[in-house]
Amino acid sequence: MKSALCVSVLLAFTLLNCDLFAGDRELPPSTPLKTSDPAVASSAEDGSLPASSQFAIPGPLRSFLRMAGMSQKITPDEVLPLLSRNVFTQGYEGSTHPTEFLILLKRYVVQARELSELAANSGMVLRVSNCDEARPLLRILGYRTRANCGDPATSLQTDDPERAFLAVDSGFPLPDLEQTLQGGKPFEYPYSSSPVPVLFAESDWTMASPKNFKENSRDLLDTILADPSVARLYWAFSRLDPETGKSLQQSIGLAKLLPYGAVLDFYGSGLCISEGHVNVPGGPAAEAAWKDLVGASPASPTTFVPKLVARDKGWLIAYFDALSRVSAAQQAYFTEPHRLRSFYSALRAPDPSAPATRGFYRPAPALLLLVTRLQLDDSGKPIVPGNLEIWKEILEGHNSKLVHRWGKQSTHLTGPDQLVQIMFAVSRAPTESGPLHTYMAISELDSRRSPENRLKPATVRLLAHRFEDYSDQYRIFSEFPELTDESISLFLDVAQGLNSLSVTARGNAFGIFQANVGIWQILARQGQIPNANLNESWQEVIKPFATARSAAQVYDAGQSSLGGLFRFSIGKARGSQDEIIELLAGPRQNSTDGRQMHREVAARIRSILDDQRLVSLDTILTVGDALAEKARGKQAPDYVVVLAGQTREFEMPRPIFTSGERTEWAAGIYNNHHTDVQMHADLPRVLRSTSASRAQIEDARGQLASFLRDTLVGLNYAYYEPPGAQALHNNPLFVRSHDFAGEALEGMKTLWQAPELMGQGSPAGGGAHFVGSLADLPYALAEIEQDFISPDSVQALIWRELTPGLLASSILPRWWNVSPLELHAIALYQRTGEELLTASAKDEALRSKVLAILSDRMLPQRLRRLDQLMSSGRTAAVLSQMMPADTFYLAAEFQQKYPEEPMAWGTAGQELQSLCKEHPDQVNWKRLSHDFGTPHPSLAQNYGLELLNVAPMPPFSGSSSRFLAESWDSPNLYWARLADEGGYAPVMLTHLVPQLTRTMIEKIFATDFEDWPALLRAMHETGQEFREGKFNSPSRISEVRP
Amino acid sequence: MAKKLFPLILLSLVFMPRQTAVEAQESPNIHVVVNMVQLNVAVTDRKGNYITGLRPKDFVILEDGIVEKAATFAEGDEPARNLSDFADNPGPSGPPGSFAARSADGITADNFAALVNGANVFVLFDTSDYMYRGFVFAQDAITEFIRSLGKADKIAFYSYSRDLSRVAALTADRSQVLRAVRSTVAGDQAALYNALLMTLKDAAINTGRKIVVVFSNGPDNSSVVPPEDVAEFAQSAGVSIYMISTQTAKLEPVSTAVFDRMTAATGGKAYFAKNWRDEHRAFASIRDDLAHLYSLSYYPKPNPNGGWRAITVKLVGDNLKKYKVRTRNGYRPQPSRFSGADKANTLSGIVPQSHDAEGITPGHEPGGQR
Repeated sequence: MKSALCVSVLLAFTLLNCDLFAGDRELPPSTPLKTSDPAVASSAEDGSLPASSQFAIPGPLRSFLRMAGMSQKITPDEVLPLLSRNVFTQGYEGSTHPTEFLILLKRYVVQARELSELAANSGMVLRVSNCDEARPLLRILGYRTRANCGDPATSLQTDDPERAFLAVDSGFPLPDLEQTLQGGKPFEYPYSSSPVPVLFAESDWTMASPKNFKENSRDLLDTILADPSVARLYWAFSRLDPETGKSLQQSIGLAKLLPYGAVLDFYGSGLCISEGHVNVPGGPAAEAAWKDLVGASPASPTTFVPKLVARDKGWLIAYFDALSRVSAAQQAYFTEPHRLRSFYSALRAPDPSAPATRGFYRPAPALLLLVTRLQLDDSGKPIVPGNLEIWKEILEGHNSKLVHRWGKQSTHLTGPDQLVQIMFAVSRAPTESGPLHTYMAISELDSRRSPENRLKPATVRLLAHRFEDYSDQYRIFSEFPELTDESISLFLDVAQGLNSLSVTARGNAFGIFQANVGIWQILARQGQIPNANLNESWQEVIKPFATARSAAQVYDAGQSSLGGLFRFSIGKARGSQDEIIELLAGPRQNSTDGRQMHREVAARIRSILDDQRLVSLDTILTVGDALAEKARGKQAPDYVVVLAGQTREFEMPRPIFTSGERTEWAAGIYNNHHTDVQMHADLPRVLRSTSASRAQIEDARGQLASFLRDTLVGLNYAYYEPPGAQALHNNPLFVRSHDFAGEALEGMKTLWQAPELMGQGSPAGGGAHFVGSLADLPYALAEIEQDFISPDSVQALIWRELTPGLLASSILPRWWNVSPLELHAIALYQRTGEELLTASAKDEALRSKVLAILSDRMLPQRLRRLDQLMSSGRTAAVLSQMMPADTFYLAAEFQQKYPEEPMAWGTAGQELQSLCKEHPDQVNWKRLSHDFGTPHPSLAQNYGLELLNVAPMPPFSGSSSRFLAESWDSPNLYWARLADEGGYAPVMLTHLVPQLTRTMIEKIFATDFEDWPALLRAMHETGQEFREGKFNSPSRISEVRP
Repeated sequence: MAKKLFPLILLSLVFMPRQTAVEAQESPNIHVVVNMVQLNVAVTDRKGNYITGLRPKDFVILEDGIVEKAATFAEGDEPARNLSDFADNPGPSGPPGSFAARSADGITADNFAALVNGANVFVLFDTSDYMYRGFVFAQDAITEFIRSLGKADKIAFYSYSRDLSRVAALTADRSQVLRAVRSTVAGDQAALYNALLMTLKDAAINTGRKIVVVFSNGPDNSSVVPPEDVAEFAQSAGVSIYMISTQTAKLEPVSTAVFDRMTAATGGKAYFAKNWRDEHRAFASIRDDLAHLYSLSYYPKPNPNGGWRAITVKLVGDNLKKYKVRTRNGYRPQPSRFSGADKANTLSGIVPQSHDAEGITPGHEPGGQR
């Protein structure tokens, strides 16, 4: 999960930690690039930077794209920008040492030029009709014929492996050539070069490179391959809007901008020069403040932009960029003149020498988190959980120097703005447990609570003090703001108390405690624990663990806690395993479709319990009762002794390694102490014995706790099973191996945070498993199972960080209580948004309103491209670039802002308007957001479901790259629209959404980690297949839709 | 076949999909899920020559020491026949003999390819960074192997690095597979056991002989499933695994251990090639194995053991005892405590179903695994 970006030594396409879409990248037209297609599309058609010339890529474009690690689905416009990006991101180790990727790409270009020369002799076609004619071609390709050339059984053999590798890796059609050499028809392979558009003129770039001054012989391709600074600037310019790019090129010049390639790459897409004016965050009202801050007027781009780019090693433009990404309301707060200056002074202060472009990713993800998610109250002031005094205390007590320095200033805290200023000051700290994250998490939590139910100062203090150890657990408090301060404190105190248990009891205690809390969370989320009972049930689940000290007491606590769950969900203190599975499978359903889905979910849970070979909860509780009775002197019935035999049924997988080998090859990784203890337990013997001592019976009850833990944890795992899971079904130790107590890992600071994955890629380690808590389990399971998704395209890899986020978003929503009306409304909102965009092409006043709404979700340059496309009537291009969330929010916001305006733009709008009037209870924003929303555990510290109206986030390193997936609410909205079109009952989304999401992931064929259009393309391709009936879909509803 | 035969005995066991149920004698409340079990058996003499021409009566199958009754039998590419057919029709096999003897009877290297008809061969090619240097030579060897399979029913070609790529689905079209081989792209981390598990699952859903040939440089740095689970699945699904690797893997003890043990457990074999010529020889050896398998199947008799079940195959008669039989040593029945049809009976957690012993039926995935 937190692995660094791994760039393959060799290849082309190795974006392992890949994150999609920066949110500021223009979507290309839907027509994919064709190999050697001379008809290169005009970039101006699609609103991207104008191409004033073309460059001929040697050889077929398909081969070049393979070697350059680029998606085959890109457009010609994207070829040089993406090549440039791959060169500077993957081409060098350190600053100058070329990687194998770049070496191979350069070699390929040489080979392609040789082949082009050969093809030039025959009209740019490689022709071979017999073995003799093949020799020149084969020499270039690095192959030779066998002695039996011409025979049907002959084949090619590698002669020069270096060249042969290039031929194979670039996809040269060797099988066709072999067929010719086997006596087949003549080989003909068109080998013309492929023209692609160039930004400005080729010479603008070749002349800009200082490396060319010496040699002065490189063309554009060679220049990009040889000069990473040119490559980076080319990439950065490709993402500017045309007017801004042209203005910068003409007024400043590419050569002068070369040193700022990294700055423009990271932060340039927030720039927008329009009619000789730089658009600034906050709009015209903020221009004076920006002029003051930058030292130049936005009305003078030629002085404003250079100063903006060059100031403070990129931090000023980083600030500018961050603010340009947030909503108008947030911008209005941050760009108030005094705040704009004071916040920036705090941001730049910590270390003026550290550039804002250090590293492979943008630094300071917390800065964007702060400006995006700062919670403002109704009066527009930042929320201060507890009070300022508490935050003074928190800041003063922090042990980092930086925080401490600012903490001293906090003694003068007089208002929320000063607190926010301090947050800016610490936003660059590379930590996820500092005061900024503490503040953001607690204010997220507090903002969801009603004004009269805000967190008490003491609770804020407790949450802050325990943040480093328990912050991932706080998401449940955000999801259920109904939980009182007492409930929150109880959880933290009990958890803290469990830390002091003996090692043997601790793992089981942690596991059972969290598994029961996890089941409570699911039942509460599904409405099976009434809202009125949330606190009471919560406390009943947690309190039993407050006094557990021995292993047997842990079992008792688990049983009692489970009783609380049963009492509040099914009204009795003891339920069966079947009952708990039925509960987890969702609320009772009355419709045929609902019952079908319910059975399907229950069956999936059961199959995992089977595959994990877990002991039945019924058996565990029955044996537990019998042991308790035995302690009171009552002998266990025979059938219970037989039942207890189930605890001895589990067999370890047939070993491949000896224990010595495991010690040698997987030290610190292979750890099945928990299972070993279980396998040595002999509960039937204790039950049968007529002379078992009280201590032996207590030990047996303690041993039973380990079985209880596995089954309860197994239920949690099973509920969050990602589509296509394999580890859950094929590694029977997976659940048992969850290391709650950190037995195998020395030095873990806390065991209550999101689990770490251990044992991956260690064959003798017994399989991957988690170490840590159950917090973030949906994401963690998706992370481990994502590698079993097989991409459709050979070069496409599965995107780490993004994919688990998408999978988790497909698993959490369950659709039990969604009405057909709501489903239809979701489709209507999207269609209404499209109608508004279409109508805007001919209606300037409407377009102005539409763009104002969309400005909350788009960077200025993207918004302006949209404006250009709409004003020129290219609605098809507009619609192809819109995400479902864009059209959905557009319609929803338009309706809210202009309620009196008749939706006369199309039939969908009219239907939506009447639907809203007739059924305001079902199609209101709050309900739709809850029913069709997704979890945002990183961005909003919450596993609850909601739609967040935020612009897509750029990639950051580490777990912050999860922002990217969480800022994309589109897939579920789109799947819902498909289901509505197809006439499915909403509950069927429980089956459809995970399957469609998985298929979409299989289809993602992206080039870089900001390639969000690839995600949209994959989604549309999946939708197309669905519409064509290529899915094994469940039955459709028969009810007539309203 | 342009090479000398290797001494090799191959035995594998295949779960066939049809589920049957047998009530245990000990208790009317205990039921077991059983599947028709199919065995692929290779028999060799001391020199490693394949022994051919054996009949069903020459074999004894034991499961946990219980003598099992064979249901079907086949040799080489013959279609599987019910045992009753053999009572009426001794078939064409004649007396046992070595491969050399059979060659004299007309099964020669020239028509060798015909012997592998009916096999479903899944080739899994390592395209991770580890394979970079030998990538093109490996491709050459694989393409030659695919061509040499001649009339073998179907071949699938998959590649893997961190993810599995199903480059060519199971097909009889050789040119499609050859194109797939040449379309692979090298690079990325290696998740061999993840990929092998998924390949085995694809193979398992097919009827007939199934083998997976892995061409890998060895190390695995990304898998989340351990080789033990992969091997157990292969054993339960009756898929033999062959692994061709390089000296690099031989130098890495973990890979060497896994390759040797996993292939042996599934009835396959591991090869560690010093150079590309060795790679070609390894592929040729695999072809030999394919051509000389006996296929036997049986329905397990009542067996209360819900865990690992040991299988032994022996030859009957003094004149056959000198030959070697290689087989995997067991399988694990499908777990069904909770997901089975009869959840009410949780005493044993084993599900009753009606017994049906009518031969091999294609369809569901074996072993209850996905």
